[in-house]
Formats: sequence, structure tokens, C-alpha cells
Amino acid sequence: MIDNLIFLAPPIVSTVILAGVLSYFGNHILSRGIIFIDIAVAQIAALGTMIGILIGFAEDSVSTQLISYGFTITIMILFSMMKVRKQVLPQEAIIGIFYCIALGMALLLAEKIPGGSNYITKTITGNVLWVTWRNIIHFTLLFIPVIILHLVFGKNIREVSLNGSGSGENLGRTKLFDLLFFITFGIVIVKSVPIMGIFLVFVLLIAPASIVKIFVHKWRARILWSWLVGSVGSVAGIYISYITNISNGPAIVSLLGISVYLVAFYKLFIHSPKAD
Amino acid sequence: MISFEFILPPLIGCLFIVLINVYFGIHVIKREIIFIDIALAQIAALGSVVGMVVFNISEHDHSHGSSLLLPYLFSLGFISIASYAFTTLKHRKILIPLEALIGIAYAVATTLAVIVLDKSAGSDVHVHDMLVGTIMWVSWKEVLQLGIVVIIVGSFHIIYRRKFMMLTDSLPEACKVLKYPRLWDFLFFFSFGVVVIEAVKIAGILTVFAFLVIPAAISTFVQRSWTAKLITGWIMGITASFFGLIFSIKLDVPSAPVIIVLLGLFLLGGFFVYKAKSAGRQIDV
Repeated sequence: MIDNLIFLAPPIVSTVILAGVLSYFGNHILSRGIIFIDIAVAQIAALGTMIGILIGFAEDSVSTQLISYGFTITIMILFSMMKVRKQVLPQEAIIGIFYCIALGMALLLAEKIPGGSNYITKTITGNVLWVTWRNIIHFTLLFIPVIILHLVFGKNIREVSLNGSGSGENLGRTKLFDLLFFITFGIVIVKSVPIMGIFLVFVLLIAPASIVKIFVHKWRARILWSWLVGSVGSVAGIYISYITNISNGPAIVSLLGISVYLVAFYKLFIHSPKAD
Repeated sequence: MISFEFILPPLIGCLFIVLINVYFGIHVIKREIIFIDIALAQIAALGSVVGMVVFNISEHDHSHGSSLLLPYLFSLGFISIASYAFTTLKHRKILIPLEALIGIAYAVATTLAVIVLDKSAGSDVHVHDMLVGTIMWVSWKEVLQLGIVVIIVGSFHIIYRRKFMMLTDSLPEACKVLKYPRLWDFLFFFSFGVVVIEAVKIAGILTVFAFLVIPAAISTFVQRSWTAKLITGWIMGITASFFGLIFSIKLDVPSAPVIIVLLGLFLLGGFFVYKAKSAGRQIDV
């Protein structure tokens, strides 16, 4: 028992920490309606890594990582600039196009790198079971400045998320907070996707926030509840995967994802409060 | 000179996909459910994987057409369940955007397929193939099959275009006018799913997605009416497929990325046209 706990402690601790950070961002993303942003960001970061390798740096080298971060942040800046007062094209469509082009470019580059197609599928998988305490300390340290920034500017960023681009004179300010939001989000995604895999990150972002949004309306409560739902879902998923011997990422994803549908159908057909 | 015969089957294949996907793309962008096509493709794939496992069909039985019928029916079944869920959960009581539910369905479908296929080797290659597709090597038979599906779904949508357009343009109005709005919404998702199954089989998720979103995005920049948008999108899509396939052969690179890069360039062009137009309008005022 104790052995099992020691073995499962790093994955549990890491998913609980990540569930917290991702729940926070997830509520923003749900309110902004830019659901697939993290898959696009992950693909852009993977493209950045491939460019680094193509230039001649080693895959795990600091230079490659810096290129990947730099590339991602540049695209994020571009993306936040594309938000205009009158949105002709929905932002989600722009995200889709970014994703599509990034993936297309990655496929082209994959031809030039030996075993290049590995880098394309690499973002898809990921295994929380292999997380080490070193990894955990590493990403927690990286998240601290992100969290501090959001504690300081949280109110402003929240306003942008909930009320859209705002009125004319505020557009400059709005863009500034958008920029802050997208850059910090980019950093979190680039850091967490290699550890957890794209689908686990995606589900931890969207699923708890969705479940909570059906019932809870206050912003702060939504974030805290999402964190709780995400953590419980992750721990339960890890436990199920441990006893049924399936991979833990897919187990958590399926558990949390199916829960969203169950909760939504429950709300629709069974739970009907008088005030509607 | 590239032999024209060689490029003809993939080109006709692309043509069919462009014809139907630009139409669906305009719908999808207006409804802001951009990733519906990737989700449906993955749900259909999960369906066929489950079908194969249930009936113990190996993936190498491709030669026997009849053995693939059951997995196909499973795909259709899974797509109808998903379409039902999307239609029903688009409800004012459910405060989450439909795109979020679509995304979650996508993630669950993909990972469930991974769980089911857990032990099978070479799943990386599988993922890669499904993404990129092999449109260059498409056979006339496959093109014909796609063509039939596109024509059936296309005529269905031409006949009932007003209903589908109303559902996308303004849902409240559609709910008032249409007798069974949810049924028509279901048919929208389901018919799109049927097209996606065939298109992805030939061209891969990525190219199909590109044809869905990018031409429709270009026409959103430069046109307003449905007809003008459709025609602009078609011209862009077909031009990109034609030159994309030719460049792909000449440069010996996969066709999907080349087509996407071309479409991306067209989009940039469309964006500048839009900017120039709106700048002109501002001066007029």
C-alpha cells in the first residue's frame, strides 16, 4: 500500500497542481469561446521545436526550448493583435487556421528531419506516470510568476474575458491584457503538454470548467470548484487506470469527458429547478 | 510535364471535397463550431475501431468489401449518437458553448480509441496516416464512392437549403418557423458526419479540415451573401488543390501541406482585400 502511494504520489501531485492552473485558464477560455487554443499552441510549440532541431540544436537543449518558446510567444502576440472591435471571422476560426497551417508546416519539416513524424505524434501522447519530483518542482517554479501576474492583473483580464473587446478608447488597454493572458497561457501549455499529453491538458482545461459552469455562476467559485472537480477526476482516473491496467491519461480524459455529458444531460432532463 | 492522368483522380477527389466542404465551412464558421469536422472524424474512427473489435475483424481485411460494412455501420451509429448529443445539448439551460462539448467529444473519442487499440503496435503510424491521408494514391473507385456520397448529401442540402441556412443564421427564428428544428439540426450534423467519413478516408483529417475552414474564411472576408461566399470559396479551394497537387509532385513533398500553404496565402490575400475595402469605406464616410 505504502509502496503504491509512493509510486502514485508524483502523478497525483502533478495533476492536482496542473488541474488548478488549467482550471483557472479553462474558465477564461470557456468564456472567450476559444476552446481549441491549447491544441493550436501545442502544435505551434512543436513546430518551434522542429525548427530548432532543423537549425542543428539537440532536441532537449536550452536553445531548442528557447526557440520553441520564442516562436510560440510570437504567434501568441500575433493572435492577440488580430482581435479587433468588429470580429468578422470568429477567433476560434483563426485558431483553427493557425492550427492547420502549423500542422501543415510541421509535416513539411518532418520530411527533412530523420524520424520527423515522431515529433508530430509526440504531442498527442504523454504519460503522467513518468513524472518525477524534479519535473514537478521545475514546472511549479515556472508557474509561480504566472500565478503572481494573474493575481495582480486578474481583475482586468477577467473583464476582458467576460466582456469582450470593450469600447473604443479601451482597445489599447484590452489588447495589453490580452497579450499578458495569451503569453502566460502559452508558457503554461508549452510546459504542461510534454508532461501530460495534449488531450489530458485539453480536458483538464475544458471539462471541469464546463461541468462547473452549468451550476455555478460566481467567477471565483467557478475557478475553485473547477480545481476541485479536476483534481477529483484526475485522482479517480489515476486510481481506475491503476486497478484496470489501462493508461492513466486516457482514463482521466474519458472519465472527466464523459462526466461532462452525463452532467449536462442530467441538468437537461432530470434536474429542473422551479425558476427557469 | 506531369502526366495529366496521374493527377486526375486526386484532383477530382479534391473537387468533390471542396464542393461540399466550402458549403459546410460557411455554416460551421457562422455557428462557431470550427472543430466539428475533426471531432466527427475521430468519433467515426472510434466507431469503426469498436466495430472491428466487436466482430473481430483485422485491419488487413481491406480487400473484402463486405467485412468493412459492419465497422462502417458502427461509424454511422456513433456519429448519430454524437449528432443527437450535440443537437440536444445546444440548449439555453446548458451554459457551455457547443464547441466545448465538441472538443470534449473529440478528446474522449481519440483517447478511447487509444484504450481500445492499446496493445496494437504501430499506432503512431496510424495516427500519422489519418492526419495526412494519401490523396495522391486515391483510386477511381474511391473517388466514385466519395462522389456518390457528396452528390446525395449535396442534393439533400440543396433541396432543404432554406431550413439549414435558417438554423445557422438565426436559431430562435428557425425554432419558430420550422416544425421540427431539432430534427433538422440533427440531420445537419449527421449528413456532415457522413461526408467527413468519406472525405477523411481519402484526403486525411488535415486536408479536409483545411478545405472546410480556410476557403470559407476567405469568403467571409470578401463576400456577404451565401451564393457569393460559396462561389468564392469554391474558386479558392479548387485553385489551391490544382496547384497544390502539381507542386507536390514537382517538389516531391506531401500534398496536404502544400495545399494548406497555398490556401493560407490566399487567405492573407483575402485579408488584405478586406482591409483595403474597409479602409476605402472609412474614407468614403
